[in-house]
Amino acid sequence: MTKRTTSHATFVIERELEHPPAKVFAAYSNQHSKAKWFVGPEEWRQSDHQLDFRVGGNESVSGGPPHGPVHKFNGEYWDIIENERIVIAYEMHMDDTRTSISLGTTEFKSAPTGTRLIYTEQCVFLDGHDNVHDRERGTQDLLNQLETFLSI
Amino acid sequence: MTTTHATFIVERTYSASPQRIFAAWSDPVAKRAWFVEGEGWEIESYAVDFREGGTETSRFRFLKGEETFGEKTFFGNNTVFNEIVPNERIVFTYSMDRNGVRFSVSLASVELKHAAGGTRLIFTEAGAFFDGADGPKMREAGWNELLQKLDDHLVEGA
Repeated sequence: MTKRTTSHATFVIERELEHPPAKVFAAYSNQHSKAKWFVGPEEWRQSDHQLDFRVGGNESVSGGPPHGPVHKFNGEYWDIIENERIVIAYEMHMDDTRTSISLGTTEFKSAPTGTRLIYTEQCVFLDGHDNVHDRERGTQDLLNQLETFLSI
Repeated sequence: MTTTHATFIVERTYSASPQRIFAAWSDPVAKRAWFVEGEGWEIESYAVDFREGGTETSRFRFLKGEETFGEKTFFGNNTVFNEIVPNERIVFTYSMDRNGVRFSVSLASVELKHAAGGTRLIFTEAGAFFDGADGPKMREAGWNELLQKLDDHLVEGA
């Protein structure tokens, strides 16, 4: 029998971006844009990225290291205010095991130099899978990729 | 525009078994009795599909809406069940709307653990509360009330 554990955690990441909120928001709302930066490490194999950006709409992508387990991301949008806020709830599966469920809030605030982005993730890690340190590091990597995408 | 994030926990010990408590969450008739029905509210609609990926939606009129908010007031609740482990755990995402305007989105878990003479229920909610939201303090009070109503329901049905 699986030993059930339910571990709650929250982390916050802030970034100062030298781009206006509308441009940063578009990197999240436009499927072609998001597919360019919301991806795993280069050496990973990866599925198509699906995005239906509206409240109630879904997003999914999966991938993983060669010969390793498949990491699956499945999200649903719960709140969208153009250029200001996005709230998504998403689940992660490792192969067929659900490992975590998260609520992610991205806030886009006008700043003198562009945009202050604040990402807050409230997570539930299930049965000892995954942890908040790895999740935060993975999210930092994604936001680095967002910055690179915006600067091109 | 403000967004406030907060997490709170409500714990309660019930004399009923985990199986009985889980049934009060999984059975649509039982769930409606303790979760939806309430004094001061008029239920417009309620539907639940208790399975992973299933939804629960309710819309109800707050009878003191005119007095409190100066207008006819309807609240809406939308839930998606993310994870269900019978008799052990339920994880769900839910939103609250007032007159069509979303004011919170939350991730909640219910854990059921065997305890001396019954069950320890641990409810944990991590929420994002928007402008005009009730806020985490009131939400916590609301769940305290709901979990008391669950207790009353279990005793009545014993």
